[in-house]
Amino acid sequence: MIAQLILTALLFGVLLYAWSEYRRSPVIGNLSFLAALAGLDFVWVPSHATRLAEWAGVGRGVDLVIYIWVMISWILLLNLHLKMRAQLELITALARTIAISNALQALKDDGRSNPPQVPSSGGDLAALQSRHREDDARS
Amino acid sequence: MVVVADGSTDATAAVAAQAGAIVLSHPVNLGQGAALQTGIEFALLRGAGFIVTFDADGQHRAADIGSLLGALTKHHVDFALGSRFLGTVVNMPRSRRLLLRAATWFTRATTGLKVTDSHNGLRAMTRRGASSIRLRQNRMAHASEILHQIARSGLTYIEMPVTIQYSGYSLAKGQKLSEFVTVLIDLFARRLHR
Repeated sequence: MIAQLILTALLFGVLLYAWSEYRRSPVIGNLSFLAALAGLDFVWVPSHATRLAEWAGVGRGVDLVIYIWVMISWILLLNLHLKMRAQLELITALARTIAISNALQALKDDGRSNPPQVPSSGGDLAALQSRHREDDARS
Repeated sequence: MVVVADGSTDATAAVAAQAGAIVLSHPVNLGQGAALQTGIEFALLRGAGFIVTFDADGQHRAADIGSLLGALTKHHVDFALGSRFLGTVVNMPRSRRLLLRAATWFTRATTGLKVTDSHNGLRAMTRRGASSIRLRQNRMAHASEILHQIARSGLTYIEMPVTIQYSGYSLAKGQKLSEFVTVLIDLFARRLHR
């Protein structure tokens, strides 16, 4: 009974995690949600795990629970990878802004800052970045 | 001429600037895709009507730039993509040929574009074409990403024969089989990420 309560608490933690992650990555949110629900079912109705395990050829229900836990761990790892990618995108945007701003300033200092010839589709850095933010919002 | 020094620790930036190029320096190394996007954004900000991307590892020939730019105006397309398999390849190892064929097959299957060379860094684009591109794959996956974005934009393209000359240096800098796996992971992860 104690093990069941501990596992239940952990799986509710996964459910909360799924809920919080859904907005950022619906796929991760849905996978975590399904895995946690399956885990809760197997913890409280072990016969389901046993029957499903026999059907899947796993053998014992407890093995199936372990496999599901491994699956949850992989989902968390994948999500960590996605978060790192998001951080990298921020760093990239920052580095790009610095590089372009420095180059524009250097041209200005050299007296080579001729104005853009085609200003209609984004003639300044802020306008271009604003357009990218709008693209992000749409996607 | 715009040169993007992607966190270079050698004299690239100084040499390019001395030669008259405008140098954009990333404070840290981000990858070829990030460097291309930075260069494209800068060129657009400066009012460029046409943009040519050109790898810095010596495998491209400046002589091909004219035919790419000419194709944009002659055929009224937004992208002129260089193809080594329509043109000439010098010193390409068999393993690299197989890898590029596999990458091209993958790109054709996933984008529907009938390209013959999916990972050629020598391209020309109009201002409209460049404005429709936004590379978010910092490293080698950008080559597939740019074709996905061309397909999605519905803009027109043409492939033009170019010459690619491999050297020990360019082979060391180019893609390897292990990186192809990373590209696939990156493209898959991108689809999961909102």
